[in-house]
Amino acid sequence: MSEKPDKSMLQQQVETPGCGAGSEDSTAPLPPPAPEYWRSLEHHSHTEEFQQFMEREFSEGAQELLGDDRRQFIKVMGASFALAGLGVAGCRRRPESTIVPYAYRPVDRIPGTPQYFATSMEYGGIASPLLATSFDGRPIKMEGNAGHPGSSGGCGAIEQASVLQLYDPDRSRLLKHEQKASDWKSFSEFMSSRFDSPGNGKGVAVLARGGTGPSILDMRSRLMQRLPQMQWFEWEPINDDNSREGTTISFGAPYRPVYKLDQVEVVVCLDSDFLYGEPDSDRYQHDFVKTRQVTNPDPAKQELSRLYSVESRHSLTGAFADERIAIRSMEIPAFLALLVGKLSLEQMDQSVIDQVASFKVASDMLDAHQLEILDAMATDLRSSRGRSLLVVGESQPPAVHALVAMINERLGNVGSTIEYVPDQMVDRPGRFGDISSLVEKLNSGSIETLVILEGNPVYDAPADLDFASAMSKAGAVVHLGYYDDETARASNWHVPSCHYLEGWGDARSWDGMICLVQPLIEPMIDPDQGGKTSLDIIAMMLGESSIDGQAIVKRAHQALLGTSGSAFERKWRRHLELGFVPDTAIPAKTGLAVNASAIAAGLHKLTKQAPGDQGMELVLFNDGKVYDGRFANVSWLQELPDPITKITWDNSLMISVDDAEKFGVRTGDMVRLASGDRTLEAAVWVQPGHANGSISLCLGYGRGQDAGSIADGAGFDAYTLRTTTEPWVLPGVSISKVAGADRWNFANTQDHGVADSMIKEVPEHGIQERLPTLIREASLKEYRSHPDFAKHAVHVAHRLSLWEETNLDGAQFRWAMAIDLNTCIGCSACVTACQAENNIPVVGKDQVNRGREMHWLRIDRYYKGKNPSKPDGVRIQPVTCMQCENAPCEQVCPVAATVHDKDGLNVMVYNRCIGTRYCSNNCPYKVRRFNYFDYHRRVPRREQEGAFAVDMDYYTKDGPNDWLRMQFNPEVTVRSRGVMEKCSFCVQRINAAKIKYKNEWVAAGGTKSGTSRYSIPDGAITPACAQACSTNAIVFGDLNDPESRVSKMQKNQLSYQMLEELNTRTRVKYTARITNPALDHGHGDHDHHHHGHGHDHGHDHDHGHDHGHDHDHDHGGHS
Amino acid sequence: MSRFLFPRWSNALLPTIIIVGAIMPLYAVMFVAWGFSPKTLEVGYQPAQPVPYSHALHAGELGIDCRYCHNTVERSSHAAVPPTQTCMNCHFSIRKSSPNLTKVWDSYETGMPIEWVRVNKIGDYAYFSHEAHVNRGVGCVSCHGRVDKMEKVYQAEPLSMGWCLDCHRDPVRNIRPIDKIADLGWNQQAEMTVDQQMALIRQYDIHPSENCSTCHR
Repeated sequence: MSEKPDKSMLQQQVETPGCGAGSEDSTAPLPPPAPEYWRSLEHHSHTEEFQQFMEREFSEGAQELLGDDRRQFIKVMGASFALAGLGVAGCRRRPESTIVPYAYRPVDRIPGTPQYFATSMEYGGIASPLLATSFDGRPIKMEGNAGHPGSSGGCGAIEQASVLQLYDPDRSRLLKHEQKASDWKSFSEFMSSRFDSPGNGKGVAVLARGGTGPSILDMRSRLMQRLPQMQWFEWEPINDDNSREGTTISFGAPYRPVYKLDQVEVVVCLDSDFLYGEPDSDRYQHDFVKTRQVTNPDPAKQELSRLYSVESRHSLTGAFADERIAIRSMEIPAFLALLVGKLSLEQMDQSVIDQVASFKVASDMLDAHQLEILDAMATDLRSSRGRSLLVVGESQPPAVHALVAMINERLGNVGSTIEYVPDQMVDRPGRFGDISSLVEKLNSGSIETLVILEGNPVYDAPADLDFASAMSKAGAVVHLGYYDDETARASNWHVPSCHYLEGWGDARSWDGMICLVQPLIEPMIDPDQGGKTSLDIIAMMLGESSIDGQAIVKRAHQALLGTSGSAFERKWRRHLELGFVPDTAIPAKTGLAVNASAIAAGLHKLTKQAPGDQGMELVLFNDGKVYDGRFANVSWLQELPDPITKITWDNSLMISVDDAEKFGVRTGDMVRLASGDRTLEAAVWVQPGHANGSISLCLGYGRGQDAGSIADGAGFDAYTLRTTTEPWVLPGVSISKVAGADRWNFANTQDHGVADSMIKEVPEHGIQERLPTLIREASLKEYRSHPDFAKHAVHVAHRLSLWEETNLDGAQFRWAMAIDLNTCIGCSACVTACQAENNIPVVGKDQVNRGREMHWLRIDRYYKGKNPSKPDGVRIQPVTCMQCENAPCEQVCPVAATVHDKDGLNVMVYNRCIGTRYCSNNCPYKVRRFNYFDYHRRVPRREQEGAFAVDMDYYTKDGPNDWLRMQFNPEVTVRSRGVMEKCSFCVQRINAAKIKYKNEWVAAGGTKSGTSRYSIPDGAITPACAQACSTNAIVFGDLNDPESRVSKMQKNQLSYQMLEELNTRTRVKYTARITNPALDHGHGDHDHHHHGHGHDHGHDHDHGHDHGHDHDHDHGGHS
Repeated sequence: MSRFLFPRWSNALLPTIIIVGAIMPLYAVMFVAWGFSPKTLEVGYQPAQPVPYSHALHAGELGIDCRYCHNTVERSSHAAVPPTQTCMNCHFSIRKSSPNLTKVWDSYETGMPIEWVRVNKIGDYAYFSHEAHVNRGVGCVSCHGRVDKMEKVYQAEPLSMGWCLDCHRDPVRNIRPIDKIADLGWNQQAEMTVDQQMALIRQYDIHPSENCSTCHR
């Protein structure tokens, strides 16, 4: 077909997918239909603000260089020109630069090539096995250690960002005595005065973190031997006290429940967020998605697991659930009582049944729809005995954990979907009990010397203990810590600790495997100022003559392995290479019998305590970004949007839509929470899907400048309300709006990059017809009957280009990516991994508010359903550069700064870019990012201050902070101000693989080796996002290889392109989501209108049209 | 007020002004084109080095292979400047007391590196890989010139993008057998016929990329 594109054809091409939309009466203003997918409440209710936001090319303020007026702009420019003049005056023909080689080059060190070391990071008492990339001696990137049997192969955002913490300019670098500079010599003198002739250790107490590595246990027992009267305490604000106590009730001893999620058919999750934010959640993600992959070639035989979530706040696990019930956390026991009733398991003991029956269940706790879900849940659990699993969260009391353990046992799940691993420290008290007894001892004045080994109890100890005042009663407090934080300021001695990449240690991973913590770099602290590990300080207390972390760890491992000499050395080297000690995983205990009478007794106590209607409950939970607050000063984590709320740089008090209306508050309003005599002011975030009667706030925020410049002022400190008796769920919290307070400005990215802003002419209808084509999904039932639904979601009439298309014929590689929406949890580890790999700057809260965040990869989160207070679900979609073959950005660049390479990459040439931003304007996916400033040179600002939010020395600084720049990946350009940037598919990794494999091929003789070309095996190139992904939701590879994983995934009938009607021919394709709801329909009143497609599944498609099937590249009209 | 009139004598200037006016733009264009070209600005850059190391002596007269010192060139993008240790492999016993070696001895004893001045430099935004070139038949001499004849090393080629692309577009005459990579005196254009070079191109499947992403990322 050679005719020119006439107007009608063009018209047809831009027409919205639902072809009938235009026929509606345009004169009568229709109320916008309640959308099926929405990003935010503003989007749902279609406020004026949202409308404006969508229609603007960039969000408000994003186009203005600075916050203020033109005059200030002139000032700044004047200053910059003046300084530029100075620069020119000093101009030489070429600035002289030096090459500094080694005087002694270490063996195996090849300058310019990365080295990889196995190490591990311990937090919350659990080790994450990691692989660190070191470039010229600097660790720059962390990956999961796929060789570890318990590793998911990926790692979470916290592990990814931990490398930035190493280079944190705010980390403590000065040893202090009574807040004044001191040195190592004085500190050693102090320690030897205390510990050289220690007596029996009376009056000495140690407060450590909850590590269980052999070295710390070894050092601890040595210390106990030397100082028999010494007392050892441990504190982890985020702990498993309730779960431990629960297993003690049910089995008589503490056990750690370990879920075998790859074995499950049905999971009932009770107020738990096991897929996100816990040190072991990477592994759980990895296992669980195995039951969610759509792999069966015969759709009719496809089976999927089903996840029920019953919870108060909207967790990420809840977002992934097929059926979700939002009830208050305090109602979970009552819900469980209903479930036990419905289950009517024969083997349940009568005493337990009786206790459960006495739980008070409010008659209106569940609505009709939720009761239906409950019925389905019970049916599923009964029919999948041995393949089902109940998971209960830490917020629930021990008796509930015990009851759940019993139900799991009676359902036959123990051994198949859940295992109980014996707790290593059987005798250790609970964390809350432990810190309470420490405070008691401190208050009684019996502690002369308190040694705090890492941790920040002044900030994170329960508020009722008033740790700070108790601590002041000790004779001397020695604090080893990474930051000069709240505890450091209140201690007599503060010693800077070292990062896990700087000091030796060991720890146990989630399966009990011993992992080695191997340093990659000398402490970046003057040795005269500290830079020590906990082990080093214990060695000082032991009076050991020299402090050698490696020797301490080796000694413990010699004892562990029972070898010494060269036999040990060989094993040790092998273990260092692996990063762990094989075969040290703790075997699960089998044949555990449930103690029914103890459970009944536990439940009896619970029913006695069961709170009546005590008003609002406040749920505290751990954050997946800053954990308990210890990562609060890591800017990557602060800028990472929360997976659910999409808030950056803050936490928020989440409240349901109905309650917000009840209390007359809206997002950003400051409220005062009162629990007993403790109060906290926090800003409200209205969260769709949150349970009514419940509010929630995560721990780890709300710190002052003691926490560092990044964490300063971020969010609200939930610890001020936390008590030892109610650490997770606080009943009877009163809320009152703070009169006259300024509204809190949340930097939220949920409406950034709205791809549906394309159709301005039909704003209301257009969006809702487009959104279901962005996220394509079907229930398992629909999929079985209509397996190619994803191909029919959008009607593509023509494949007609207005311009000459890029010719990619004959390319050796066709790089592509497949993103599986079935396995993407939304944990956002990929976003941080990308930031680490590609030198992506942090812009600060103020800039995020202007829509200038630089993340190359964003994760879109859509709520689904008509009712904003009870959305039917949440859909998550990572969006990165689609690497369009027919890229709209390339057509509008006046300087050809974005062009195609032969492999099909849409490349961005920074040194050509002049910053017109036309490309971003023309990008339908909104994945391009513009450097409004030299962000690496700026300190990320929370709020804009004064005249303009530019550092005073911004124009005179040579470059990025000397510490932070050490993290830069030397393989990627550090972009300067005024250039556009975007995902490159990690082209540096592609190039490295090309060079490596071609060199090998040439060395083998080239064509004489028998192959006509070199080849790169599938899987040899992994972009940073795919490598970080614990669930393998992102797969990268070569489409020219029909056997590659990406080819197979893209050939799947579930595979689709986003906005394929625009004929962009993306190289990134999504695998449509298959959900497995228990109920056929959503809400009872919810008519199942499908996809805005104009016809539902029964309708016969007009197969005469090209429906946009893959690889269909005809450019003509009707085929 | 009367209009301003140019005085009569100024008529004599007119031809000069016309000639200068016609030539100046051309001059300016030429000045920028040649004066700012890397061929003018970059080639011949010959900074003073902290140690008067003579490539002409070591690589030329003594015939030490380039890769004896720059030994990472085949395994890394970076052809590393050798550590002080490498100098001391010989100088530990040869010409120990030469005053020229003072700084080398200092470095060897203190462990502090010698800071050499960089001669060949490309922009930070361009990523050049030595291993990708020397393993495919592009010799050292093609970019670095006759280093074995340089008493003090200078930049021999412009190392500009246009210069890189000249070869990427037509690499044939720069290809040599891999065993002659570091042989600076061996001229592939004299020793090899185009057909022989084409055979190598085919054997190594050399088709240098002109994509932006090859060097910029």
